[in-house]
Amino acid sequence: MGVDIASIVETKPAALEDFSGKIVAIDGYNTLYQFLAIIRQSDGTLLMDSRGRVTSHLSGLFYRTANFLETGIKPVFVFDGEPYPQKRRTIEGRIAVKEKAMEEWKKALEEGDMERAKSKAQQTSHLTREMVSQAKQLLGYMGIPCIDAPRDGEAQASYLVRRGDAHYSGSQDFDSLLFGSPALVRNLAISGKRKLPRKNEYVDIKPEAISLQEVLQKHGLTWEQLVDIGILVGTDFNEGVRGIGAKKALKLIKEFGSIEKVIEAKKIEVPGYEETRKIFLQPDVTQDYSLKWSLPDTEKIVDMLCEEFGFSEERVRKALGFVETRKIQGMQTSLDQFF
Amino acid sequence: MLNAKVKAETLKEVVELLHTLVDEVKMNFGKEGLGVKAVDPSHVAMIELSLTKSSFEEYKSSGMELAIELEKLKEVLKLARPGEIVKLSFDEDKNKLIVEIASFRRFIPLLDIGSISDAKVPSLTHSAKAVIDLEALRQGIRGTESVSSHLTIEIKPDVFKLEGESEQDKVEMMLYKEKGEVEIEAKEPAKSMYALDYFSNVVKAISSAQKVTLNIGKDYPLKMEFAFAGGNGTAKFLLAPRMPDSI
Repeated sequence: MGVDIASIVETKPAALEDFSGKIVAIDGYNTLYQFLAIIRQSDGTLLMDSRGRVTSHLSGLFYRTANFLETGIKPVFVFDGEPYPQKRRTIEGRIAVKEKAMEEWKKALEEGDMERAKSKAQQTSHLTREMVSQAKQLLGYMGIPCIDAPRDGEAQASYLVRRGDAHYSGSQDFDSLLFGSPALVRNLAISGKRKLPRKNEYVDIKPEAISLQEVLQKHGLTWEQLVDIGILVGTDFNEGVRGIGAKKALKLIKEFGSIEKVIEAKKIEVPGYEETRKIFLQPDVTQDYSLKWSLPDTEKIVDMLCEEFGFSEERVRKALGFVETRKIQGMQTSLDQFF
Repeated sequence: MLNAKVKAETLKEVVELLHTLVDEVKMNFGKEGLGVKAVDPSHVAMIELSLTKSSFEEYKSSGMELAIELEKLKEVLKLARPGEIVKLSFDEDKNKLIVEIASFRRFIPLLDIGSISDAKVPSLTHSAKAVIDLEALRQGIRGTESVSSHLTIEIKPDVFKLEGESEQDKVEMMLYKEKGEVEIEAKEPAKSMYALDYFSNVVKAISSAQKVTLNIGKDYPLKMEFAFAGGNGTAKFLLAPRMPDSI
């Protein structure tokens, strides 16, 4: 999912605390999908309440976001709107993958292969409209702003950073860079200890910061050229060229300068590259949003999570313990905020 | 070329004030005097000090910026007796600051200028100002420290108020304009909350001022100004506020 340009992008490991005081525009769908993939029982089953409703997304969103707030990170969640017609193919492809993974999950369960079952189950994650509206309701009670993007959430998140309304865009995908976000942070929502699939090993996943300027400078590229590289590799909006990965695409664009010149020199076809380029360089975004944070409303959150979805009240209240202290002590600002 | 002679207590005060925020500073020995700016690593507090030529017994500089480890300077200054004069000079070949007290000399190796970033001073407009006795402020801060790690300053046209609060305890100090306890200039009432650690340390490090001027706004940085070294030195301390009910 998203454009695979990891091999030409340098990432800097960071700590969660490094983002204290920073506004991060988080790709809502991307993050909720990750919670659905990761927060599962050992056989791959999602967390559910007593009525059989999925709660993995709420659990991830609540504990993680509470942790952000306690650290001093100011998140704003940006949700996808109507997908670009070009993204349909990607979405259909994802549905096919999920159906296949569902079959394989069942088979693995029958064979008693729990490791495989869990890893297949993770690929079946399906985010419903209802889950998204539950997530937005919870974010509202947590005092966190949400923005509905006209089209792509990651494009809107990048726009916030470009306008200076946010310091970072937050997503697992590199698409933000193509959308021109000056600074991207990955792994923010999933940092911590994670078990490696099919191995009895754990890795410590750390947030990673990526600067667009540094990526461009390192390779001597313009933003437009980075977009061209992404298009050759393939994005959510175009298929890319068979046999061209990020390193090869970088070499081609460095040598010829643009997709047009690559097409001319290498006699290849890049279907839909002009439209795709337009999506990244001039995305559909809105200026109609307001960013206001307030302290979480503990009682409303307890009502929703504990009364309605059966979360442990003790754990929920503990995660919100910082709210009372914050009310008395306030939050330390930095002089940089007053320039 | 640098040749500066100054009373040990004046230099001590400069070093003590700076050392509340940083361990290393860039001191700018300009042609007309000494200027230093320092910001703490998290950019919560800043100090800007200047000593005019006339606050020195003797002062000559071709204009230079020297990066110094404060602890080393502090150690030498401990040797000085009250009223003793300290002489500062610069050994360009060996890149050392030479500090002389009577017949004693210490050669302090200088740091790389580029290793200390420049402190940018925010441009602030404060809506309320109060001039109070340093002793009153000290008392208020000391009293607040025993119940809380932060305090609230409120300035109204007729009264200056310090307040500290924890879950159980509360302290307050009021100074009234009418009683001549404070001078106030306030267009509108202003109130802001500040962490005590830096504030308290800086106030403790002031040794030669009688009065301090506190400028605040509504949830806005504090600017504390005071004169030292017999009125020839001026100091400015900035402190970012804590935002109540904020995430």
